[in-house]
Amino acid sequence: MRRLILFLLIALPAGAASLRFEEIGGKAGARMQHHTRKFPGPHADVLGMFTSGGATAAVGDYDGDGDEDLYVTDSDAGTPGHLLRNQLKETGKLAFVDVTAEAGVGGGNDARSIVADALWLDADNDGALDLVLARFGTPVLYRNEGKGGFKDVSAGSGLDRFANTIAAIAFDYDNDGRLDLLLGNYFPPVNLIDLPTPHVLPNNLDQADNGGGVSLWRNVTEKDKLRFVEVTEKAGLARHTGWTLDAGHADLDNDGWQDLYLAGDYGTDRLFWNNGDGTFRDGTKEAVGIDTRKGMNVDMGDYDRDGWLDVYVTNITDEYMKECNMLWHNNGNRTFSDLSKETGTCNTLWGWAAKFGDFDDDGWEDLFVVNGLRSAGPENYIPVLVEMIITPDIDFTDVRNWPAIRDRTWSGYQKKKLFRNLGDQSFKEVSAQAGVDNDQDGRGIGMADFDQDGRLDLYQTNANQPALFYRNVTDGTGNWLALKLVGTKSNRDAIGARVTVKAGGQTWIREVNGGNGYAGQSSTLVHVGLGSAGKVDAVEIRWPSGKVEKVSAPLNKITTIQESK
Amino acid sequence: MKRRAALLILLVWPVMAAAATLPELESRLAADPNDMKAANEYRKAVIQAGEYDRAIDFFKKLVTDHPKAAYAWLNYGYAYVDKIPAAGSITQVILANTALTNFTKSIEIERSWIALFTRGNSYLYWPKIFGRGPLAVADLEEAVAISKKGPQKKVYARAWIALGDAYWRTDQPDKAKATWKEALALFPGEPQLEARLARDGEDLEAYIYDQLDPNKRVDTNLSPLWEEP
Repeated sequence: MRRLILFLLIALPAGAASLRFEEIGGKAGARMQHHTRKFPGPHADVLGMFTSGGATAAVGDYDGDGDEDLYVTDSDAGTPGHLLRNQLKETGKLAFVDVTAEAGVGGGNDARSIVADALWLDADNDGALDLVLARFGTPVLYRNEGKGGFKDVSAGSGLDRFANTIAAIAFDYDNDGRLDLLLGNYFPPVNLIDLPTPHVLPNNLDQADNGGGVSLWRNVTEKDKLRFVEVTEKAGLARHTGWTLDAGHADLDNDGWQDLYLAGDYGTDRLFWNNGDGTFRDGTKEAVGIDTRKGMNVDMGDYDRDGWLDVYVTNITDEYMKECNMLWHNNGNRTFSDLSKETGTCNTLWGWAAKFGDFDDDGWEDLFVVNGLRSAGPENYIPVLVEMIITPDIDFTDVRNWPAIRDRTWSGYQKKKLFRNLGDQSFKEVSAQAGVDNDQDGRGIGMADFDQDGRLDLYQTNANQPALFYRNVTDGTGNWLALKLVGTKSNRDAIGARVTVKAGGQTWIREVNGGNGYAGQSSTLVHVGLGSAGKVDAVEIRWPSGKVEKVSAPLNKITTIQESK
Repeated sequence: MKRRAALLILLVWPVMAAAATLPELESRLAADPNDMKAANEYRKAVIQAGEYDRAIDFFKKLVTDHPKAAYAWLNYGYAYVDKIPAAGSITQVILANTALTNFTKSIEIERSWIALFTRGNSYLYWPKIFGRGPLAVADLEEAVAISKKGPQKKVYARAWIALGDAYWRTDQPDKAKATWKEALALFPGEPQLEARLARDGEDLEAYIYDQLDPNKRVDTNLSPLWEEP
């Protein structure tokens, strides 16, 4: 009998596991309550509605102890963010302790600024993660001083241009070995807390061009003095004036340079190809076409394992608006085809963050998507809003024209979506069975193997609600490998490194990213589910410096690999 | 290079040809604003040429010049409907609502089958929360009643189908099924009726919602009105 069971265990295909998560936010000390900003004045209600983001989670091992920590933002005036130190290495248990005060990183939500995103990056390549808080305001830059302490070095950092920044990513656009910053700006650069004009809202709800665009900041740090200079214009990104809600980077044409995809609310997403000379060119029209949707999220992953990174963008699909998401299948010739309908990933309601991750380690990247704008009272805001929208010649930019939302619900109480990749160009929605079908007003996702059991866990932030922490407890998962890459000539976080893994006659690619996905930064550890493959045949790393190295890595372990000097 | 140029010509030629017919059709409509055949040809050409705004501007002027022309108002509404699939999701709402206003103008002048069917069917595209379901029922019941007064035409099946959908959308599933059954007796083999009657519950709901997807082009070709028996 034991032999039969053993035989069955061996014979069962890996990946037949049913995804399963358990919510442990409270137990793990990570159920952080987010508070949206309360605005003063007569337009408080409308501005609050338009800025109901800011619930962000950034994953990073800030203390270098070998486990993943979390920075979780808050947004109301005076409320601190939370630096949550993972105690896994110390105690063997997955639990977090709030060390914000002693670390000195709780600032940002002052009377004139609103924290909207957080990002870990090793800006000075000293091996300790620094922290950027992107704001409706100017960014805050905390330098990691070691021993758990940070210093606010914003003043001398050069990051001094006011913007209503909602998304921040770090990547090395010029491959010079230093991480640069791209800030995605939502509103035009006016201070919403002290409105100089009522004309601050989108000038068109399908093709707005009066947003904040993006700004690109080149890292010119010398030694330990963190410093950035703005190169937006020089890089060819200044003409983008959309309402950027998220930004993602990846080498989409496999040329060794990081390209950009910008998700635009109220209109056209933008795809910029990296020319490899410090500039980008707008390839939107030819690559993906001109869309009118409400782009909310950008994540990249090779969902069909054809060796080209694909792009997933969430939009809004609801009873009153049927946009459908976009799963941009990379055709390998600088064009993309939207296969969201064909793959079953089209409808995630009012989508926010989405992340690719192989949650059952079966060798195929699944997708987790959070959604929901505002869950409040029984009255629906939509009929009130549509009355305004259909008013002839209404000026959408004027905040005074927008009806107050009060206690009304708007696309609220929406069930999250977990799509299991079936490996045949299709996905199956399994959120209820997996236990992640909560109906909170989701915003961001931080993904990492927090307990280092080989299964990717999820941290979900929610606007004006407590966060949720989903520990992956899926049984019968496949084999995996995890790589912590350390750049030497390349940026130390190895952001932009391309990993190619061969095992059992199959091939996987992954890239290290610096904050892709709305309101959430995931672990920079490269996690590859390998299914039933019993050994790794080859691992190749193409570092951002251009160096290509073959390394070995054992199954089911985290391996640290340093770029050879 | 030559093949590319040939392909480009093949793609562009129908658009150019359609655009070329517009001035003549506009002249015909200016002479007779209620000329449904000319309006139908005009809107078909507009869709092919993608000249939606030109059509809207043209019909706006036509109804200004001929405010009592019921079918000009109807086609003015259709010009907005024709643009919906080419528009963003919010603009779609604005276009759909403006179309309804113009259909109402047409009905105020003449309570015709086509105008009542068109407005009733348009109400169905609005989510329940807007409370337009009962308005759809009222218009479509009247359209069906009008169709019963004379000889049956195949095109009348559209109002029966939509009336059943309206009952479904207003939580009257039994009435919906009875309507489709009655219609199938009048229009045997009508595929849309058969498809609805072959479904139930969530399957039927999904089918109806799929039919009412604003991103799918609504068939606004009115030629069956005069071409079909």
